[in-house]
Amino acid sequence: MKTLRLLAPFIAPLVLTAAFVSPSPIAGQTPQATPPPPAQPRSVQFPKPVEQTLTNGLRVIVVHRAGAPLVAGQLLIKNGGEADPVELAGLSNMVADLITKGTARRSATQVAEAIEALGGSLDSSARWDASRVGVNVISSKIGPALDILADVVRRPTFKEDEIERLRQQTLDELTVEMGEPSVIAQYVASRIVFGDTPYGKPLGGTTESITRIGRDDIMKYHSRYYRPDNAILVLGGDITPANAFRLAQQYFGDWQKPVDALPTRGSAETGNSAQSRVIVIDKPDAGQAAVMVARSGINRRDPDYFVGIVTNSVLSGYSGRLNQEIRIKRGLSYGAGSSLEARRDVGPFSASAQTKNVSAAEVADLLMREVGRLSSEPVADIEMTPRKAVVVGNFARNLETAAGLTSQIGSLALYGISFDEINRYIGNVQSITARDLQRFAGARLSAAGTSIVVVGNAKDFLPALRKQYPNVEVIPVAELDLNTALLRKKQPAK
Amino acid sequence: MKLRTPVAWLTLVVLYLISPLSGDVKAQTARVTMPQIKFQERTLPNGMRVLSAVDHSSPTVAIQVWYHVGSKDDPAGRSGFAHLFEHIMFKATRNMKSEMMDRLTEDVGGFNNAFTNPDVTVYYEVVPSNYLETLLWAEGDRLAGLTVDEPNFKSERSVVQEEFRQSYLAPPYGMLEYLIEQQSFTSHPYKRPTIGSIEDLDAASLENVRAFHQTYYRPDNATLVVAGDFDPKQLNSWVDKYLATIPKPAITLPRVGVKEPERTAERRITHYAANVPLPAIAFTYLTPPERSPDAEPLRVAATVLAQGESSRLYRSLIYDQQLAQSADATPDLREDAGVFYFTVVLASGKTPAEGEKALLAEIKKMQDAPVAAAELEKARNQLVTNELRQRETSNGKALALGSAAVLLGDSSRVNTDLAKLQSVTAADVQRVMKKYFTSANRLVIIYLPEAQKVPATGANTSLSNPGGGKAK
Repeated sequence: MKTLRLLAPFIAPLVLTAAFVSPSPIAGQTPQATPPPPAQPRSVQFPKPVEQTLTNGLRVIVVHRAGAPLVAGQLLIKNGGEADPVELAGLSNMVADLITKGTARRSATQVAEAIEALGGSLDSSARWDASRVGVNVISSKIGPALDILADVVRRPTFKEDEIERLRQQTLDELTVEMGEPSVIAQYVASRIVFGDTPYGKPLGGTTESITRIGRDDIMKYHSRYYRPDNAILVLGGDITPANAFRLAQQYFGDWQKPVDALPTRGSAETGNSAQSRVIVIDKPDAGQAAVMVARSGINRRDPDYFVGIVTNSVLSGYSGRLNQEIRIKRGLSYGAGSSLEARRDVGPFSASAQTKNVSAAEVADLLMREVGRLSSEPVADIEMTPRKAVVVGNFARNLETAAGLTSQIGSLALYGISFDEINRYIGNVQSITARDLQRFAGARLSAAGTSIVVVGNAKDFLPALRKQYPNVEVIPVAELDLNTALLRKKQPAK
Repeated sequence: MKLRTPVAWLTLVVLYLISPLSGDVKAQTARVTMPQIKFQERTLPNGMRVLSAVDHSSPTVAIQVWYHVGSKDDPAGRSGFAHLFEHIMFKATRNMKSEMMDRLTEDVGGFNNAFTNPDVTVYYEVVPSNYLETLLWAEGDRLAGLTVDEPNFKSERSVVQEEFRQSYLAPPYGMLEYLIEQQSFTSHPYKRPTIGSIEDLDAASLENVRAFHQTYYRPDNATLVVAGDFDPKQLNSWVDKYLATIPKPAITLPRVGVKEPERTAERRITHYAANVPLPAIAFTYLTPPERSPDAEPLRVAATVLAQGESSRLYRSLIYDQQLAQSADATPDLREDAGVFYFTVVLASGKTPAEGEKALLAEIKKMQDAPVAAAELEKARNQLVTNELRQRETSNGKALALGSAAVLLGDSSRVNTDLAKLQSVTAADVQRVMKKYFTSANRLVIIYLPEAQKVPATGANTSLSNPGGGKAK
């Protein structure tokens, strides 16, 4: 692949002339030396979601889009990893995994057989702020698929043997994950940015927390959060609203709302990233180093959300500044990018790249420099215009598939944002100015609160990194402890 | 573990399914109509093929150029070159500066990318439809000639070396994937992994770039596919203007003629590597190429064995026996010969021998008894749904069309192969399982952590020249 865009959360630019805008007069003979200009653009029509709330409080949203005969359905529970108790990281994820492993009506094997016989798949996972159970099937099979989806959400049995099986699988998955430098970097960065607050935990848990989770914890999480008045059902694609509402009523209408009130949501109370750290996780067998700079960013309802998106787009994406500097100009990485993850509470901002071990310090420096440059100098229009186009294009393309449409609408619903935002999206992006961007970068992405994480073979880059950052902390991977913000296992008493 | 290779990904693309879906299982009565892709095809006087499919549902258009050249055509001692060349195609041309393709796509809200596999190199762009003419000009321009300079070439070569590290050295099972590619073939140039080796990439020169372009990047080795929102008449006139004018060279197009010999006895490799969190094993079997009538039964077999949690390998190795952390089956059916491989990452505390025994038992079951009707129907539904998802976007439709035309040699198969898949019987599946999954046709790779290496017996597969085929 030319780029890893398909894999990385990339989005943004540079001082580049869009050649068709101002054709450079290169002398050429065949057949024409400058690109032909674009024709008149066609307007984009976005599908309109409609919604109903069932008497049990379940919000049902339908967004019809003719095209391929496919429907994506997603049930969102409005809590995910942030609701895991401090010492039980990974609980929400285990719950989401376990609901498909046996219900009052079907065994684990029967659940898998039923959904796969329809040609579909049932995906359940916990994220930050939400747990999701999704199906994606040929439209004629959405009824039976929702029957299965409702069954696993409403009637999981959480059998002991299934819990133990999943526990072993999860522990092995963690073992494999921890072989990947970029995954370790992400986990370490979360701990640095969010400390011991909810978003600081590894979403999938740690060996210790997964070992600790009991059946009671699992049942308690499920009964507390998996309830109709804490859920949203989104159906998108080749399905009419009438049919969708009928199916929702059929499979979820008699889902009882518990008598006790919904638990009130505590704040993830972030913002403790004022202290920036430079941390090296020494993994001598790493075939490449993962370099990440991270800090706290914004929440989803921040008035500066769109400024944030455009700012991130200036940094990230194939022609974003990071990839320009690190990959295109210097050949130091297969790809560099950044992400500004807006969550219910303030989420992370991070910029990252993987590079050969010996160039890790140089890449860390480039990442920091580009983040800093956002606030030290204004972005010229000639750079801003194409980066806005990237944002708008990604947004529109995302709505082209049933799954993309459903997930986009689900995200708006989850954060209580009006669906009107879909139609205002392009205008919101276009209205951002260079001044907005510079103000935002200065206030929200300043280098002062930004930390650096490098995971790799330390002997190859530590001297160079130390020259620049004398305060660097080195933790051998065997001593890494993701259970707390200290990040280091306690030394056994002598 | 998901082994993600450009090839494995393309495999999905190559599943052509057609409507209507036949006999549903009991509870299901609805029949699925797989929408046909209506397309037009023409061949230009210079030999370039043009396929197009109109779809006005979104104001975007996908443009792809398929070059019938892949890593099997890497020059001697230059493994990884076709893929490196793919990267170079984004650098300067006669009328474009480096990265101008990004200006014409990304900067107007679209995107571009490309991939290389053993048989083809494919470039694609998705842009707002009013930019179609601009992109046809640009594709014509880079087909007509490159003007990349030394600094740009070297910098991009470093990028590809980082891609090697990121895809194969950093992830825990990257080198297992590499070994599967490298060790499955002994004579055919498929034995050189598409990514190549750091050493061979270092040896590549600008002169190689010029020669490669001249040899393979020519209109009679290219297929243009356009799908989405466009006017067919306009498309034809732009194609005439920007692509039909490119001359066809007089020199003949070289083709790989090497035949991979049949395997005659099981071969076993033990490989010790850094960063192996849990031991793993792989089996590979040589199969016929993707044009073969056995391709569909092999794909059905892979689906029955490994797609989803009701698949046989998941049920047996992961769920019931709890022997494995992951278990996959991949029908990597290529143009000249196929390789069907299994990978199993063991659960902690389990040995490769246990995994091997369990995997063999599942293969044997497929050979000893026909797949049940409901299981077969499930696999068909899974394959149909995969294909529908693949074709949801214009770019996906173009990929389906391009693979039919270039890899299967018949564009109409984009609409007819589903019928073939629907007609696969349990007996067909059993027959291919018996025919190809023999011990004589098996390569076994045992992939272990370095720490388990016993010094005296630690014979390792040599990776010092992982391009294979040529001592340096």
